[in-house]
Amino acid sequence: MKEKKALVITGLICLALVIIALPVFSACSGGGGDKTLKVGITTPSTGAAAEKGAPMGHANLDAIKYINEELGGVNGYPVEVVWLDNAYDASKVVTNVKKFMDDGCIMFATSSSKMMSASMEIANRAEFPGIASFNAPVLHRPPQHIYGQMTDYGDDWTAFTKYFMDNVWKGPGKPRMAMHLLNNTTGYGALDASKAAADDLGVEIIAVEEHTATTTSEMESMTRIKALNPDVLYISSTPAPTAVIVKNAFELGLYPGIAIGCGHASYTIAMVDIAGADIAQGVYGVFPTVNWGDDVPGMAKMTEYCQNLHPDDYGNMDYITSWAQSLIMAEILRVALDNVGYDVLAKGDVESWRAVETQGIQKLSGYDVGGLHGPVSYTTGDNRLSKSLRVFQVQSGQIVPLTDWIEAPLVKYEEFDWFGQ
Amino acid sequence: MTLPCGVRNYNYAEDMAIVRTKTHWALLIGFLILLFVAPLYLGNYWLGVTNLIGITLIAALGLNILVGYCGQLSIGHAGFIAVGAYTAAILTNRLELPFLAGLVCAGLVAGIIGIIFGLPSVRVKGFYLAITTIAAQFIIIWVINHWSLTGGFTGIKVPYAAIGGFEFRSEASQFYLIMVIAALCAFFAKNLARTRVGRAFIAVRDNDLAAEVMGINLLYYKLLAFFIGCFLAGIAGALLAHWIGYLNAEQFSLTESILYIGMIIIGGLGTTLGPILGVVFIRLLQQVLTVELVPFLEGTFTALPAGFATGVTPMLFGLVIVLFLVLEPRGLAHRWMLFKAAYRLWPFSY
Repeated sequence: MKEKKALVITGLICLALVIIALPVFSACSGGGGDKTLKVGITTPSTGAAAEKGAPMGHANLDAIKYINEELGGVNGYPVEVVWLDNAYDASKVVTNVKKFMDDGCIMFATSSSKMMSASMEIANRAEFPGIASFNAPVLHRPPQHIYGQMTDYGDDWTAFTKYFMDNVWKGPGKPRMAMHLLNNTTGYGALDASKAAADDLGVEIIAVEEHTATTTSEMESMTRIKALNPDVLYISSTPAPTAVIVKNAFELGLYPGIAIGCGHASYTIAMVDIAGADIAQGVYGVFPTVNWGDDVPGMAKMTEYCQNLHPDDYGNMDYITSWAQSLIMAEILRVALDNVGYDVLAKGDVESWRAVETQGIQKLSGYDVGGLHGPVSYTTGDNRLSKSLRVFQVQSGQIVPLTDWIEAPLVKYEEFDWFGQ
Repeated sequence: MTLPCGVRNYNYAEDMAIVRTKTHWALLIGFLILLFVAPLYLGNYWLGVTNLIGITLIAALGLNILVGYCGQLSIGHAGFIAVGAYTAAILTNRLELPFLAGLVCAGLVAGIIGIIFGLPSVRVKGFYLAITTIAAQFIIIWVINHWSLTGGFTGIKVPYAAIGGFEFRSEASQFYLIMVIAALCAFFAKNLARTRVGRAFIAVRDNDLAAEVMGINLLYYKLLAFFIGCFLAGIAGALLAHWIGYLNAEQFSLTESILYIGMIIIGGLGTTLGPILGVVFIRLLQQVLTVELVPFLEGTFTALPAGFATGVTPMLFGLVIVLFLVLEPRGLAHRWMLFKAAYRLWPFSY
């Protein structure tokens, strides 16, 4: 009996000591000696969007390596990256973003709009600033703490449609446009723009079909579209499904015949390779960056790193996007450092996040990203950092620019009743 | 329940007790104390992981009642979680109802939808029932994506959970909310198995023809199993909605449904401890692989081909599940039972 009592008392004392000691241990485990600027990057390097996410992850890290090794970091402070794969899984990206916040990151970046839409509310609630390289209207309208590196999927549709009306459409009346959309914000961002602007641009939307990221055949939906006699088909998706749809259009005899336009989420050399250069010949697309080999200041260094570290990614335009994203993040940190100093940013808490946003992101003005995409500037009320894109066309297996930079106007989607909340 | 040597049950209450000895009580209370002081020593990230585990546990308990106790294979559980999540989102966002009302309604609506999709279970079972539940998954997600009330593909925002004016804004406050509800659900699931309803479920699972001959109404109990399983899924969905803050149908994919089946199989079907162990194991494995192993491999073994490290995650994940099914098909709960038995008998081998 006495031993039992002693055992119980000993157990209670041990439990109490454990409870008291645990917070101390967890506090001791944090913090490092080096003065760095920590950022979080999450990419879908595995999963359904790996053909985009993998080269984008490589580009982000290669650019950070370039910034640290050749530029000496940002104002002398190395950039420390917390990089996590999200496998194109919404629940993973939520915990990834929480880890970034916990690890003292002062901003984060995602590649896909789906991943950002899954995590944006958590980031917005915590005032943790994020940049999405692929952007959809829902991410930045109304503007909060998420910023689009480039134009959104709605801007793609608007730019392509305007180009089509000005340069391609020669018929009478309104052209009949069919839309084939990925079943997420990538696809439906384009639909939002068409709802907002189709009438103004003089286009009739005759069909809206959707597909999944893993589709292997869209013959059924393309047959329905063919029956409606479209003049133009707009695809807002990722490379693999877009290639499937283009091939199906070709097999049905629909293309060549109609014009096909693609949003920037799919318009990469991967799409051309999957569809086949002869089948993809003449397909239009929009992209907010330059193409490989273009004569711009930032091309040489990016090409060097890509060919040394990830030669398989050479020619992939997503690589350019993410390389530019890392450069923009570095510029944001540089501007924030100039305005508030390292001590504020080093805290890695909400004070740092506010500083990065208000004194970094919102102070960006005319940053040229080495000419790799349109100039980056923050405009009040518009969370798109770059508002320019170009129209391209597939010619002999290559993606060739047709236009100079086109500025995409701001559309306040939240003013429309149908815009999701 | 197996008891330590020398411990006997002398009355019905002792025989039915879930926590029988003082040692059991001490361990349980100690565990609960450690669990509820977790916010003191876990950062937001690990609290987030724990919250995700708690939410997943509630859904897994429901699936275990349906699959493990009643034997009705369901591979559309993520769809029912989505029903609960969107119900809570619509009620709290669009109609501005209180969180608790949204929580209860989420469970009820998901339960009713579960009954509708459970109707085929009267006629079909096994593989064929699994196909109907997969159809439920796709139908539910399609409706969500094409209905303006749910925000369609754009999604819908969800406000913070709030009870009596107190908003659960911080990860720590959400932790307590989720853990209390998870504990209540676990207690409910444990007791359900010991009631008349639970015994009927087990009879249906083991031999539905014999159960029917014995007088068990198959239609009633199968649909009841769907209702209870989907009710808990709806509760989990509502908590998930308030935790994430923004819903999109892509968060409830078929892969999630299959993952839930994997969790209850790895944990141990037909036990209450099984889903707990299975959920903890799978969610922690996901985090360890994604957060620790892959960055370590990427940073340390730079000579590996590009993408090798990230590809290791799905390979290892699949390998772990296959190994479990081959080496321990009765799950972690069975392994725990063996360990307890060996511990009680040690050092004697008989």
